[in-house]
Amino acid sequence: MRARAAVPLDLGECALITAATNLLLAAPGEDGGFHVPNIGEFFPPAIAFEGTIFEFNRITLVRFVAALVLCTLFWLVARRASLIPGRAQNIAEMGLDFVRVNIAEEVLGKAHARPFVPLLTTLFFAILAMNITGVVPLLNIASTSVVAVPLILAVVAWIAFVYAGIKAHGPIGYLRTSLFPSGVPWPIYIILAPIELISTFILRPATLTIRLMANMLAGHLLLVIFFALTNYLFVEASGAVKAVGVVTFGAAFAFTIFEIFIAALQAYIFTLLTAVYINLSQEAH
Amino acid sequence: MDSTTLAEVSGNIATVGYGLATLGPGIGIGILVAKTQEATARQPEVAGQLRINMFIGMALVEALGLIGLVAGLIF
Amino acid sequence: MNDVMTLAAEAGEVPEGIWLFIPPLYDVIGSLAALALIAFVFVKKVLPTFNRILDERTELIQGGIARAESAQAEAKEALEEYKRLLAEARAEAGQIRENARVEGTAIVTELRTKATDDAARILENAQRQIEAERQQAAVSLRAEVGTLATELASRIVGESLADAARQSRVIDRFLDDLEAQTVADNA
Repeated sequence: MRARAAVPLDLGECALITAATNLLLAAPGEDGGFHVPNIGEFFPPAIAFEGTIFEFNRITLVRFVAALVLCTLFWLVARRASLIPGRAQNIAEMGLDFVRVNIAEEVLGKAHARPFVPLLTTLFFAILAMNITGVVPLLNIASTSVVAVPLILAVVAWIAFVYAGIKAHGPIGYLRTSLFPSGVPWPIYIILAPIELISTFILRPATLTIRLMANMLAGHLLLVIFFALTNYLFVEASGAVKAVGVVTFGAAFAFTIFEIFIAALQAYIFTLLTAVYINLSQEAH
Repeated sequence: MDSTTLAEVSGNIATVGYGLATLGPGIGIGILVAKTQEATARQPEVAGQLRINMFIGMALVEALGLIGLVAGLIF
Repeated sequence: MNDVMTLAAEAGEVPEGIWLFIPPLYDVIGSLAALALIAFVFVKKVLPTFNRILDERTELIQGGIARAESAQAEAKEALEEYKRLLAEARAEAGQIRENARVEGTAIVTELRTKATDDAARILENAQRQIEAERQQAAVSLRAEVGTLATELASRIVGESLADAARQSRVIDRFLDDLEAQTVADNA
């Protein structure tokens, strides 16, 4: 007995509901002023176990909630997976196939894709789930906006492509093909090798980290600014200035949609770049 | 000798530095995506490979912008 | 590690500079735990299940296609068999017809031969009979000639003593009569 959804919500309606709820939940600033969010947003006070290594704060909590929800959803779908898919299984399969076909097989080729599909799938869905909590009304913070999660994911990606390169060429061979690309006259190697070293082994994971973190950070700050501004204008401003609140609410709504899109895009880019780096490590220069 | 201050600007110069750092990557990514669009319009069947090359180029170009952001925050 | 914790991870304190990009230890452990959970669920449970379903589905479709192909091949084989039997039956029928015709001709020829033989035999019989009757006639004629001769002789003897000339005249006349009679018989 499956209940049919009466009217499916499209992205705009979802974003509208999300924006409205966020607005209602937006914390009022200090009396008489507008509380401008700053970087302190991302370092909230600890909720429990303060001072030990198990300390967790709001962001860590949100991170666990996201992970649990993701795992529960997929576990439920996988438990009753049948040969002819129902709706939920169809959606899950669409997601999994997107990673497998559009990312893994397109970049690595059908033959070599198989060993890396689990890694890429985990990366994609972990980042997507953790990014999307930035717009979910009660959670309101993307746990990828502090540096821990992007850093660990980038280290995982780094291990993956170095491992792929070493498996394909052997350790010395891998260093040689990546630091000394062929087709270049040898004096240039003196400048090229350090540049390649920094670019390949340091910059790649660093840019992966910072790209993900900065996007989520900026997105969150924008959303907070617009919601707080709307709240302040509607509640505490005087007279005609309230009308500007409508404009800022419109901007908040637009940025919610934009933020959902950026969440998915950043997950896609992270996973795609990991696949690309694996591919580049595997092929001989 | 006592120097007279004529004008004063206060604030964080790191933000100005980052603002300058976004110019190059902005133009770079713009050109990259534009060229990919053009090439896809000419030959749609290789769109997949073109898109992958665009992302590789974008990763390299965006790195400079991100280094600008980080450098402003670290130093 | 202590530095990280005391400098940057105090409740709500905002790190400066480089510490912005170095996660506090509790954060690292927390995210490792969350990511390990996601990785475990995906790699151990979700992906093998979906891979198994995909493989089953492929095999079902492929199996279905293979079965359809084999059924088609069987049908083609049956068609070939049927055509072959039909050709054989037709050949046999033709041969039977051929045999019948040959036999018919043979029978006709045989009958004709037999009829010819019969005719020949009847002819031969008839001729033999005619020959036999001729012989018989000749024999009876010879007997009659005897009788006639005797009669003539008696007549001659009756008359002979009278006249020798008349005798020869009677003989000549008798021989001419006899000859004429023989010619008339023979004609």
